[in-house]
Amino acid sequence: MEDSANRKIKVVVALPGLDCHDRGIVYLSHILRKAGMEVVYLGKFNTPEHIVNTAIEEDADVIALSYLNDHLYMLFFPRVVELLKEKGCGDICVIAGGRIIEEDRPKLREIGITGFFGQSTPVGEMIRHIEDRVKSERWVEKS
Amino acid sequence: MNSKEKVKSARRFDGCPVTETSAGIPLKEVYRPADLEGMDYRKEVADPGEYPFTRGIWQNMYRGKLWTRRVFTGLGSTADTNKRYKYLLEKGASGLYCFGDTITHQGIDPDHPLARGYAGVSGVSIVCLKDMHALFDGISLEDVSVSFNNPSMAAVVVYAAFVAYAQNMGYDLKKISGSILNEPIHLVYSMYETNAKPLGLAAKLATDVIEYSIKNTPRWHPIAPNAYDLHEKGANAIQEMAITIAIMEEYIQRMLKRGYAVDEFAPRVNVFGCACDMDIFEEICKFRAARRVWARTMSEKYGAQKPESCRLYLSVHTSGNSLTVQQPVNNVARVTLESLACVLGGLQSFDPAGYDEGYYILTEHSALTSLNIHNILAYESRVASVADPLAGSYFVEWLTNKMEEEMFKVINKINDMGGAIQATESGWIGAELDRELIREQQEIEEKKRIIVGRNEFVVSKEEEVPIMVGRDRPLEEQMATSEKRENEIRRLRETRDKKKAKDALTTLGEEAARGEAHNLIPLIMTSLRANATLGEILGTIRVANGATYDPYEVLHGQI
Repeated sequence: MEDSANRKIKVVVALPGLDCHDRGIVYLSHILRKAGMEVVYLGKFNTPEHIVNTAIEEDADVIALSYLNDHLYMLFFPRVVELLKEKGCGDICVIAGGRIIEEDRPKLREIGITGFFGQSTPVGEMIRHIEDRVKSERWVEKS
Repeated sequence: MNSKEKVKSARRFDGCPVTETSAGIPLKEVYRPADLEGMDYRKEVADPGEYPFTRGIWQNMYRGKLWTRRVFTGLGSTADTNKRYKYLLEKGASGLYCFGDTITHQGIDPDHPLARGYAGVSGVSIVCLKDMHALFDGISLEDVSVSFNNPSMAAVVVYAAFVAYAQNMGYDLKKISGSILNEPIHLVYSMYETNAKPLGLAAKLATDVIEYSIKNTPRWHPIAPNAYDLHEKGANAIQEMAITIAIMEEYIQRMLKRGYAVDEFAPRVNVFGCACDMDIFEEICKFRAARRVWARTMSEKYGAQKPESCRLYLSVHTSGNSLTVQQPVNNVARVTLESLACVLGGLQSFDPAGYDEGYYILTEHSALTSLNIHNILAYESRVASVADPLAGSYFVEWLTNKMEEEMFKVINKINDMGGAIQATESGWIGAELDRELIREQQEIEEKKRIIVGRNEFVVSKEEEVPIMVGRDRPLEEQMATSEKRENEIRRLRETRDKKKAKDALTTLGEEAARGEAHNLIPLIMTSLRANATLGEILGTIRVANGATYDPYEVLHGQI
């Protein structure tokens, strides 16, 4: 059996809602694959329900959400976390990127969303961030 | 501090490190007459206003008419947008720009379950005929041109609503001018793809707008393909224009099939909406080359006789992707350079992006700055006084030739695949764009492409020049705007003459099932006059063509 602490990191990448600025997730998926992770690419136009169900079905470690167009991420991102909790899958890490304004970040951090990658976040930093979060989650799982 | 530690300059290079264009065309250090050997001025370049229009589409260019000075507009409510229009007209704008909100692009109504929170957000919501009345109240449509940025199937409804409004107000349809984006094929790999399917039906409706417009609104440009989105999704300068021309060939062929001669419609389907990015010479040569490729395609491939069939009108929204969130004041410099490239490239119209585009839709401040970039270029800088001032430059003519050659290669490839719809459905175009997008991002990551303030010359937030930027409306406010809009449309549905609306839609549905040759614009106008909505009209047409009522398959018919 595969060693659970070392198995390939699986990331569901999605834009929730009707935002269509998918440049960021196209590139993110590319670099995550290059870094050896498995990517489930959902692309645009996803409801939080669909994103969460996919992550559970796929047994993903991470949900990577992106949003750029407007302020509705403050509706969709917390909803994703809420659904994960409802379904008893709070161990799936949620990270976010796009255009997440500074003032909203503390609120999102509070519910466990991290990352906040933007236009100029170096690739290495994004990969490291995801790896660190998954590692600590798996460590908690083991102990 | 240790005295041995000296302050070092942050510069990285003493020589310019760039040896190729943004699209990857290798560049020599210097260009000479030999690089243009054998070039025939009269055949390949020619004077401005003469075939193949390399140097511009008018003989005296900007002395005759300056470019149309637009500024991006599209605010929540139709009333807010109307107010902004009046403000911009007072400040010297000569054309208006209307950007639809997300759900208008999607062709769904504000009370659709997935539209919650989206109505009137980052664009104006156009759902019914009443909206046109609110949008253009107090503005004379015979004096000002209006450019609608509606790319998807929704364009057919927006155009019909605009014409119905103009008729209601008693305007002479022969005098109204402007354009509508109305090109769904590119959506598949750029944005809002849901409302471009089925692609055949979407292309049919776009062709209906072209056909109706050439007969009834002869000064209107019924299609203005969106090269911009292709660029922003990765297309390099060559692909951007080549794919767009290949897409336009789909509509040219549909119009020929409907029995029109090329010269009857070509002079109205020759406006492209492009991007203008930071590789200034490549962009200038892109515009010059694209005009030549278009002229040659129209004349040599489609046998156009009229010079106006071969003229390509170019308009630009400067590249949003080239702007940075960091140090937004630097974007004024970027947008100014890009705007200069637009003028030197002989464009007919452009709108300089707001320096705060990375934050939100333009504020009144950034809109005014954008408008003044127009004014400074047009009236202070004197760059507009001589037509195509760069012609004859060994480098510019060489690069123009090179780009023409590369554009034709891409166009021929797409034609060999059976045209733009096939090249789209097979995924070929999408893969090409992804490849270029990844290349660009990697070059930024490796600092092969320098972007000041983003990957080099970075300063801390505290060191940034303070400048006012647009702010998102708070979530509660966004939800409230959307809800208000939702209620307005619900009220419209409740208070309208229900039978009249239903009858109009039924008739529309019957006609929509009759196929390509049956132009649906007149019956869409009838439906709009009966207070039918965008979502209902498109739903009816979709069902008649064997597709689902709702592109998202949530709703199953409204009335």
